[in-house]
Amino acid sequence: MRFTSLIAGIIIALAGLPSAFAQDSLKIGVIGPMTGPGAQWGLAAAGGVQIAAKEVNDKGGLKVGDKTYRVEVVPYDEQYKAAVAISAMQRLVNQDGVKFVFGPVSSAGTLAVMDISKDTKTIGITGAYSSKAIDPSNPYMFRVYSVASDFAEPMVKWLKKNLPANATRVAIVNPNDETGWDSDKLLTELYKKYGYTVVAKELYERSVRDYIPILTKILAEKPDLLDVGTAPPASAGLIVRQARELGYKGDIVKIGGSGPRQIIEAAGKDAAEGVINYLPADEQNPAYQRLAADYKTMSGNEMNPLLVNWYDGAYILMAAIQAAGTVSDTDKVRQSFAKALPHKSVLGGTIRLGGKDLYGIDNAFLTTNYIGVIKNGDVVAVGTAD
Amino acid sequence: MLALTLQIVLNGLTTGLVYVLMALGFTLIFGIMRVVNFAHGELYMVGAFAVTVLNGRLSWPYVPALVCSVILVGLLGSLLERVLFRRVIGNEFNCMILALAVSICLQSLGLIAFGPDEIGAPRPVTGVFHVGPAVIPADRLFVGAMAMLLLVAFYVFLNKTHLGLMMRAVAQDPEVAALHGIRPKLIHTAAFAIGSLLAGAAGALMAPIYTVFPYMGELPMMKAFIVVVLGGLGSLLGAVIGGLLLGIVESGFATMLGSTAAALVAFAVVVATITVRPEGLMGRRS
Repeated sequence: MRFTSLIAGIIIALAGLPSAFAQDSLKIGVIGPMTGPGAQWGLAAAGGVQIAAKEVNDKGGLKVGDKTYRVEVVPYDEQYKAAVAISAMQRLVNQDGVKFVFGPVSSAGTLAVMDISKDTKTIGITGAYSSKAIDPSNPYMFRVYSVASDFAEPMVKWLKKNLPANATRVAIVNPNDETGWDSDKLLTELYKKYGYTVVAKELYERSVRDYIPILTKILAEKPDLLDVGTAPPASAGLIVRQARELGYKGDIVKIGGSGPRQIIEAAGKDAAEGVINYLPADEQNPAYQRLAADYKTMSGNEMNPLLVNWYDGAYILMAAIQAAGTVSDTDKVRQSFAKALPHKSVLGGTIRLGGKDLYGIDNAFLTTNYIGVIKNGDVVAVGTAD
Repeated sequence: MLALTLQIVLNGLTTGLVYVLMALGFTLIFGIMRVVNFAHGELYMVGAFAVTVLNGRLSWPYVPALVCSVILVGLLGSLLERVLFRRVIGNEFNCMILALAVSICLQSLGLIAFGPDEIGAPRPVTGVFHVGPAVIPADRLFVGAMAMLLLVAFYVFLNKTHLGLMMRAVAQDPEVAALHGIRPKLIHTAAFAIGSLLAGAAGALMAPIYTVFPYMGELPMMKAFIVVVLGGLGSLLGAVIGGLLLGIVESGFATMLGSTAAALVAFAVVVATITVRPEGLMGRRS
């Protein structure tokens, strides 16, 4: 009996040893679409945060006050569905004990988890395009990058200046959900403001792959410019290809969710030629290429440019946590974003905190945006959209 | 208006022919084995990936890649029947659950092997044809022609060959067919292989037109299900009529009222059909 107790005691003592010496971990959640349409954006979110976490861990971890934490990333797939985003958020908060979440990436998902974030004081750093995602009623929700309401107007101005003056008829295509409705409203107002005539507007279901019927209707209105808005990159590529097949010769622009490489993949090099894109990053930048190589090594996939914003966002969050000196008091951390920003992006630009004028609260990370044109199967940055 | 109507009909026919191809395999498997094969969409996905790998990555010429992909999916179907479905045939509920499990497994295998990205398959046919004032992309015309060819071949096979006759006999009454020396288990394997082959053909033909990814089978599977309910579960003629009807109705509503309205109308037509004729347009009243 005494021997058994002794052995049991030794086992318990040994079991306790590793935890006594192990580094504490700081869990950071990611919620984004990892499968289905828009997966590129969710994978970019997870990839950016994971690369940043690995870099910090490789240097010994994140020092907060007297303690050093190992950063652990917990990603969940939201499938671009609000209901799935809610269960992912609940799992992160209630089961995984996470206090900081990157995402949801979708607008519908973000609006669906707003109450959970507010009630549990969980800091969310969303990728949602919806203007409702940043709201003074929930000071815990931030946004990781500039969105269409920030870069759409400079892009429309650029179009007005660089496209033929007689190209005035615009058609707009968007997904039929919160993201698409917001984009549709914003783009319609902006095109009208700059003297364009919006001749057709169509919303489609995200599961659709055959756009020929809606394009048949749109092209009957003879637009000079087709804006594929916030369509996921692969869907946008199919829209581009099918529009060209139906004989559309005008310009195509995408003022929303970036992914020019996926557009080329889905549309083919010839059909994608000349498509004008919003870009969150300049692909020629050496730091971009280093991140793309790291992501390729980590996942085996090509990097979506939005990964840069999530990567920068992860460093901003970690800086805010360090400035607050706590990993548990999220009120202190959210107030510390004002100290963590401005932040120098890995690409060299400056990320600022703003949004009060548009949303009533300074919870938006304002990033540098570029305009890119697809040329010979490559993406060339031709200007900035700030 | 005439041009628009012609365009709608042409769009609907090309889409409808692919629905027919999907629905034929689905309804064949149900008609003979009483298996509601929810993994049918994943067999479509396997066909699409197979042609993408053979034609795109291994640089095989398109036609051999297409033929090999279709045969590969047929073999996969026969393997699934021989190893898994044979054990539960006769119990429709178990078959349904097994089919769902196979569907999830194939999707996950696709995800592990190819990742979640949507990839583009090389396009063997490009350009457009002008039919009066309407335009039809050449690749869709090619798919439509191939679908019609497969339809005719399938009709001849079922009605003019000995194996086709045996399949029909097993579908009507397996016990009486067995009394005549037909081995229903062998016919089940052949039916599952041919049904899968048709799904694989649809996937391999559509791969260059859309993008290829592990979850691409979900929508065509849903369409196949709508078509067979509309046409009559187990009825081959019903699958043809249902597929073309769905294609044209969807095309019309999607063009005039948008894709959301088209999806709603497709389901409304199904609800109306099963309310008035529960056995479907061409199904037999049991």
